[in-house]
Formats: sequence, C-alpha cells, structure tokens
Amino acid sequence: MRVQLDSTPRPAFVRSRLRAAACVLLAAGVPAAARADDAAPKYQLDASGLLYGEQGRANVVEPVAKLTRLFDNGASLGGQFTLDVITGASPTGARPTTSIQTITNASGTSSTVQANQLPVTAFHDRRMAGDIDWTQPVGALFNATSSAHASVEKDYSSLGAGETFSLDTFHRLITWSLGGSYSHDLVFPVGGTPVGLTAGGAFTGVARNPKDVTSVMAGVSRILSRQWMVALNATSIYERGYLTEPYKVVSILDPVSQNPTSFLTENRPTRRSRYNITASSVYHLTPDVLYASYRYYWDDWQLGSHTLDLRFRHELGNDSFLQPHFRFYTQSAAKFFTLGLIQGAPLPDFASSDQRLSHFNSVTLGLTYGFKPHGYPGEWTIRAEYIAQFQKVNLGPTEGTDGAPVQTAPDAFPLLNIGTLTAGYSLSF
Amino acid sequence: MTRDVRAAALALALAALASGCAASAVKPWDRDLLAQKKMRFIPLPMEHAVDEHVYFSKEGSTGGMDLAGGGCGCN
Amino acid sequence: MRGTMPESSPPASPALEVSRAGDYFVGRFRAMASPCEVLLDLDDREEGLELAAIARDEAWRIERKFSRYLAGNIVHEINHSAARAVTVDDETARLIDYAAECWESSEGRFDITSGVLRRVWTFDGSSHVPSDDEVRDALAHVGWSRVTWTPPVIRLPAGMEIDLGGIGKEYAVDRAATLLAGRARCAFLVNFGGDLFASGARRENRAWGVGLDDPARSGESVLGKFDLTAGALATSGDARRYVMHQGKRLGHILDPRTGWPVADAPRSVTVLGRSCLEAGTLATLAILHGPSAAEFLEREGVRHWVL
Repeated sequence: MRVQLDSTPRPAFVRSRLRAAACVLLAAGVPAAARADDAAPKYQLDASGLLYGEQGRANVVEPVAKLTRLFDNGASLGGQFTLDVITGASPTGARPTTSIQTITNASGTSSTVQANQLPVTAFHDRRMAGDIDWTQPVGALFNATSSAHASVEKDYSSLGAGETFSLDTFHRLITWSLGGSYSHDLVFPVGGTPVGLTAGGAFTGVARNPKDVTSVMAGVSRILSRQWMVALNATSIYERGYLTEPYKVVSILDPVSQNPTSFLTENRPTRRSRYNITASSVYHLTPDVLYASYRYYWDDWQLGSHTLDLRFRHELGNDSFLQPHFRFYTQSAAKFFTLGLIQGAPLPDFASSDQRLSHFNSVTLGLTYGFKPHGYPGEWTIRAEYIAQFQKVNLGPTEGTDGAPVQTAPDAFPLLNIGTLTAGYSLSF
Repeated sequence: MTRDVRAAALALALAALASGCAASAVKPWDRDLLAQKKMRFIPLPMEHAVDEHVYFSKEGSTGGMDLAGGGCGCN
Repeated sequence: MRGTMPESSPPASPALEVSRAGDYFVGRFRAMASPCEVLLDLDDREEGLELAAIARDEAWRIERKFSRYLAGNIVHEINHSAARAVTVDDETARLIDYAAECWESSEGRFDITSGVLRRVWTFDGSSHVPSDDEVRDALAHVGWSRVTWTPPVIRLPAGMEIDLGGIGKEYAVDRAATLLAGRARCAFLVNFGGDLFASGARRENRAWGVGLDDPARSGESVLGKFDLTAGALATSGDARRYVMHQGKRLGHILDPRTGWPVADAPRSVTVLGRSCLEAGTLATLAILHGPSAAEFLEREGVRHWVL
C-alpha cells in the first residue's frame, strides 16, 4: 500500500472560481457543447524497473506498473502490480570460521563455505504484489484515501487494507493527516516451521504462521513560505505473531577458540512495537529544489536508528534534471542480537545473528537523471545508487584463557556493497 | 533518548508547526511554485517505493513519510 | 489592463458579409474594433445569414452597452458619476461581479479600474515611458478596493473609471455562442478578434483548424495549428502594442499595483477553456504572472501555449 501524506495545494484553484463566476454571469449557464475539452488528464501511467545487486549475493529484478484513473472532482483510482524476482544468496547468520563448515538449513538445501567467508545459502524466489488505492475528496478541504494490498511469494503471503484522512486548515497552509492500516500475513517456511533455538530437525508442525501488523500514523505539514514546506510524521507499528526468520541460524561458539562448533535456529519474540518520527523539508531554490528528511526510529527490541536523507534536484533546462542523493543511516542492535552463543552458557529466550538487527552504519550515494524526450510523451528517470553497509563495532582479537590473544575473528559482517539501477517512466493521458 | 524527552520533543515540534499562521499566510496567488509536481514530500513515488523496499530489506527500521504497507518476508 | 476597445465608428458597410468557404459558411463583420467572424457548418445560405446576424447583433449590443468610448451607456454613466452612487441593471451587475472575482483571484493584478493608466502610457512602439511622478499620480485613481460595490449599486471615488474591455470581448463571444446554440442545428465557431468559441464537432466528426498566431510576425505567420471541436481559445499578448524601454520590449498589459507593464511577461499566451471568459481571463492572469505564466497555467490544468 502506498499512501502519501501530501499537502500540495489543490490544482485548478483559480480556474474553478472563474468557472463558477462565468456560470453565474452567463446566466443560461455555460455556452452550448461544454464537453470534454479540458486538458486535465484522465489517466496516469507509472512504470519502473529495478536492478539490484549485492557483491556475490542476492540479485533482484523488480518491474512495477501502476495505472491511475483521475476524475474531474479530484478523486482517483489506482491499481499497481509488482513483480520481484530474487536470486542469489543470503547470509545464514552463522559465524565465519577458520575451518570449513557446512550446514543444512530448513529450506532443504545445504551450503558449503570456505574458511573466513560468510556462510550463505542459495535461494530463488518470486514475489507478486497487487495494490489498489482510491482517493476521494470530500468538500474542498478534506481527503480520504482507501487502499488495499495483497502479495504472495514462495513462503510468505500478505493481505492488508488501510485508510488515511487529511484535512487542510488555515487557507490550506497546514494539513493534518491521520491514517491506519492493518495487514494479516502468513509465513509458511519451506520444509516446515523450525522450533526456535534448537539444533535443527525439530519442527513445530505449524505449516502457516500468522503475523498481524497494525499501523497508525499522524502527521502535520505546513507551508512556511512561497518556497518552503515542512512536515512532521509520527508512526506506530505493532507486530504480533511469527516474527522469526525461519532459515537463519545462530552459531554456538567454542569458548576458547571462538570458532563455531554447531548451530541453532534463531528465535525472536512474537511481539514488536515500532515507532518512528520523521521530519521532512522541501525547499524551492528557483529553479532547483532541496529535499531533506530526518527519521528517528526505535522499537521494543531496543533497535534504534537515525536516518538522514538529502536530495538536491538541479534543473538542467529542457525539462531535464540531475538529482544527487546522499543518505546516512546508523543503527544500534536489537537486544537479543548476538554474534554467537558461547557453548555451555544457558540459552537465552531469544537470539538472532541476522545482520539486519546488528550495529551498523550505511551510506548511500546516488544520482538520478530525469528527462522528457522532445516530441515523445511521458517523463523518464534513470537512477544509479551505491549503498555501503559497514559494521560499527570492531570485532578485533579477543583474549584466550591464558591471556594470549587468539586468532583474529574473521569479520562477522564484511563491508556490504550494494548497487541499484532504477528506471522510471510516467505518462499522463 | 528517554521516553519523556522524546514525548516532549515531539510535542514541541508539533506546537511549533501548528502555531502562528495568519501573519505569514501564503496567498493563493503565491502558490505557483508550491503547485509544481516536484514540490512534494514524495516527488517521485515510484523511486520512493523502490527505496522503501530496498532499505526495508536491508535494515531493521521501517516507515517514515508514508504508511508503507505491503508485507514481504524481508525484515 | 488588456484589450481595451478603442474608438469605434458606427459599422461601415458591408455590415455583414456571408461567403462560402469550402463546405461551410463564414459570416464577417466588424465589432469592438476587431474583425469578427462566425463559421457555420451548414449548406443553407439563408440560414447562415440569419445565424451570423444573431451573432453580430449580440456583439454590437454588448459593445454599445459596455464600451467606455460611447456616450450614453451604463459605463459612461458610471465613469462620469462624480463619486455618486449608480444603480446598474442585472447584466451589468453580473459583469461587475465577475470582474470583482477576477480581482480577488488575482490578488489585485486584474483590475477594471486600471484603465486610467492609459493616459500616461501610449503603446505606439516608441520609447516614450512616463515618469515616476506621472505614474504615481495616475495610480492614485486606480484600485478596485477603493470602489464601493454592493450589487446593484456602485460608487466610484472621483477621478476613477471602470473599463470592461478586458472581459467584454470574451463575454460577447460566450453570449453570441449561447444565443446561437439555442437556434443553430449545425456546428459553429464564433471568433471575435482572436477570442473564439467552438460548439462541437463538424459534420463527419471533423474539427475546426485554429492557427496560433506567431507574435513575432503577427498576422503574417502561424506557429502551429490546433484542432478544436468544442471549447474556447483566447489569446493575450503584446503583439501589436508595446513600447521599447532600455532596449527591452514592454507589453501593454499593466500591473495595476506598480503602474508599469508586467515585467518579463511572455509575448503571447493562449489558453483553451470551457468558455471564452474562462480562457481569456486565464490568459490575462497568466500574463500578469510574468515569468511564471507557464507554471500558473500548468497548475490550473488547462491546455496552454506560452510564447
């Protein structure tokens, strides 16, 4: 579901006033044959394609197409279809080792890794998703948007709906938004649902695990001047149900050598409360535009993050532009994140080595080029981005029991390089 | 940040945002720039959706400017 | 202010000329100091004459009633009322209401009281520009906010005038079209001096071909063609009336808040609208936006050509 909280002024503001006034003046109404002569578009087509690659790992191809029907009264109805094709390898969560290791994971395939390399498992998945949204203005100041979503992939399905309201106040200078959504997901791991924190082979017997996600968002946006608008949004998301990654494992480490000796399936809590506050700003520098946003996120797994996102749209003339993009992200780990459990120590309730729950920083550098080919309809954008994820915590050498430093632990999370290429096309007709 | 500090910061920001409008009112006539398609918090929705998906899959956080929806087994 | 109706003598003969052009008829006459034509997609010459006459009569009626150059009409009375209240008829009241709406929507840039500025500006292509004092003196008598308008009573302070030339021609086009729509069974197009309205598709679902005048070579060449079936096209611009000032060409559309022509205005703006009033007013408002004319029209969601 894509629900935008926007505060752009209503289009055709002067025209609608003039039309009403002309109607009154001409008494008998508008002259004959006031048919469909308006230039306001009736449809909008948006399409995009994503090429995503990580060093030696997952590669994604994702085409998306959306068609929106626009109505005279400002209402719109849109339908979107997304296809995700994922191939490649995903880290299992196991610690790299100084000796060869092999694991068998729940999806029934085994993976073999060389020493000092991050264990990964191969996978291939295809996800299809459909979204519908309907926007209906009520009066001049109030907007209601309803949306629904469905998606399915090899081991996951999702069905959800949402509603957002927005209200303009103070001559449309301040817009208030309130929205909620609910989604009922199902996780059906290939081969069955493993029991958490066990050595594998034990399954819960539940084939389909439900997961409910409820979100609430409140926001306010304000026009500060002819060139500047800002917004503040606060979101709460509550997740209940199966939140564990069924294919990921946590290493059991030998207390002396720190080498992984065996593996357990990971286990996460069945509830998660997530919050974020985002401040955004759009500033028009005639003709360029600066977009800036900052997001502060925290949840009850004690994972917290700060995100700073900056984009600068530089107009080149001839309806084309260049937009450099810089994003900085820093995350602190979830409370049950661990690089490995020490053999012999009591088992915690929850543990995960998923690097997405760890401490790390991420920097994105991107460049978008937008253009409208002369004589051809529609607008194009092409974007190349480079994302680097690198750990914050130094996993340097640890001491052995005799005080002598042990072999340096291989980096649990080496620098992750991600490249994306996105092409977009938009047409109003 | 502690819970109290967070709540206070949020309340303060909201108050600042919602206060004192009449003096700096931007008249309908002066909304030529604001009405341009690029003057939106999400000017390129498709690009934004791609971003949301990519970062949702690689990071532990979620959401921000809109009610991101559409579950996938990736976070 | 745009498109005033300069001195017009009583229509010279021929008062109405109807001729065949291909498979349709054209009725031509002069009104509001402009060449006017009515295109009628029919084959019966008698009927064509009758319909063209209806359009011409309505154009003349509106010109007689609202031209500020003719003595004895309501506008003359208002402009010579010496600060007294004047009660106007229903049609005049609605026209003034429309003008007031334009003034409000444009935050004072579209103002029917700005006509007095013509006394200090002569757009004859020369480089004569008024002094700051002259402009300031003239501005003392400009400003719709100074007018007391409680329909149907209007009161102008001494020295002020109203000029409906900015909306008169568009109003005439729409009124003529309304009358023809009640009488004609064929498709028609009314064009008064470049502001036009088309009622619908011609026979065999063809459109009227409308040429867009090239402002650099006005009257001699066109920049493009637009196929119009239904709707109105109106153009605002400085093609014929301008002054040269410091090497720059200043159009004749004045910003009533400064008393000077709009800075960096486009040479010509054409707008497609549902009625000629709507199209013409939007075109004028676009020019009053100066360099952001195109952005304004983009936002309004109307088809436009900014040159």
